[in-house]
Amino acid sequence: MSDLKENLKAQIIEQLNLEDLTPADIQDDAPLFGDQGLGLDSIDALEFIVLLDSNYGIKISDPNEGKEIFQSVNTLADYISKHQ
Amino acid sequence: MYFIQHIESITHQNSFQKENIWDELKPLTAENQLISPDYKNYIPVAALRRLSTILRMGITASKACQEKVPNEFDSISVGTALGCLTDTEKFLVTINTVSGDVLSPTAFIQSTHNTISGQISLDLKNHAYNMTHTQNALSFEVALKDGLLCIDEGKKSVLVGAADEAIPFLERLRGSLILTHLPFTSGATFAVLSGEKGNSIAFVQACEVYFSTKSQETLVTLINQFLDANNCSSGDLDLILEARSDFRFLAKNHISFTDYTGFYQSASAFALHMANDWLIGNADDKRILIVNNLESNKLGLTLINRNEVEA
Repeated sequence: MSDLKENLKAQIIEQLNLEDLTPADIQDDAPLFGDQGLGLDSIDALEFIVLLDSNYGIKISDPNEGKEIFQSVNTLADYISKHQ
Repeated sequence: MYFIQHIESITHQNSFQKENIWDELKPLTAENQLISPDYKNYIPVAALRRLSTILRMGITASKACQEKVPNEFDSISVGTALGCLTDTEKFLVTINTVSGDVLSPTAFIQSTHNTISGQISLDLKNHAYNMTHTQNALSFEVALKDGLLCIDEGKKSVLVGAADEAIPFLERLRGSLILTHLPFTSGATFAVLSGEKGNSIAFVQACEVYFSTKSQETLVTLINQFLDANNCSSGDLDLILEARSDFRFLAKNHISFTDYTGFYQSASAFALHMANDWLIGNADDKRILIVNNLESNKLGLTLINRNEVEA
């Protein structure tokens, strides 16, 4: 699971062009969206859907699911491990 | 009359936020890179990460213009020949190579030509008229004419500009796209025009575009007709800024602006900046003609006058 989280962090940085961040800057349980976390927005949510599809073969058919799945690296990793 | 209130350029020259760009202008070589300002001073970091060079240049030059004039722009007119090439290429490559069913939205969203003017409006929170013009090498002139028409309609402060960016793929098109000796470059120039004199030095008297031109004789005739329609002749011109070097004989001073811009198809926007600042630095000169013959079958003519000259 920890390898998955580290890979996810690197993929998030690359996919979202977060040039100033390193994987170590992203806490496992920190919110990805909103002012408290990385401050990602709705376009980034679409990028997450692409990331899950292209890197893990997981398709999210209901966009409303994203709210729960994309909360943090922990929730993302948990969803991937259950659905891969 | 259409007074030039402020003008900003981001190019391969040291041209951003300068009192007079001629202080540091030098003929370009292939080694000259784009001189980028610190974009973080103009664009929030969260937004900056998504923006390609053409968007960074366009937004930053526009915001620098807005900071120098008191009122919000009443219209925004942008010319771009090839648009957002970086994102277009990224999107097309992704279509060809991606393994999943869904494509990254960012490159798609930002691949359209009107992304530049749209992002400028979003960033300035400007809800006024907003238009993109793409007419190959005459894209800037058409955007400029749009801005002049907006002033004729009564708009007080109009933003006109142009931007294009170079990507390595353009080298493959060199034979069909370019004056062969020029390096591919990127550039953005934005100007605030107004029907009121304000603190301006010069004004745009007229701008005209001609498509499907043929021989050089035809071009000379068109230039003379344009000048005649604007109550002057080639003898009245103090300087010609031309894309090529075909009309050296028409004025006492002649400069090929592409020697300073390199090749991007909306480079004539930078010639407007060169003309305005030439008049700042040459107090005796009054009239400048910009001849945009970058493409051999098209012609753009823009007449710039010092404020004292009667239109």
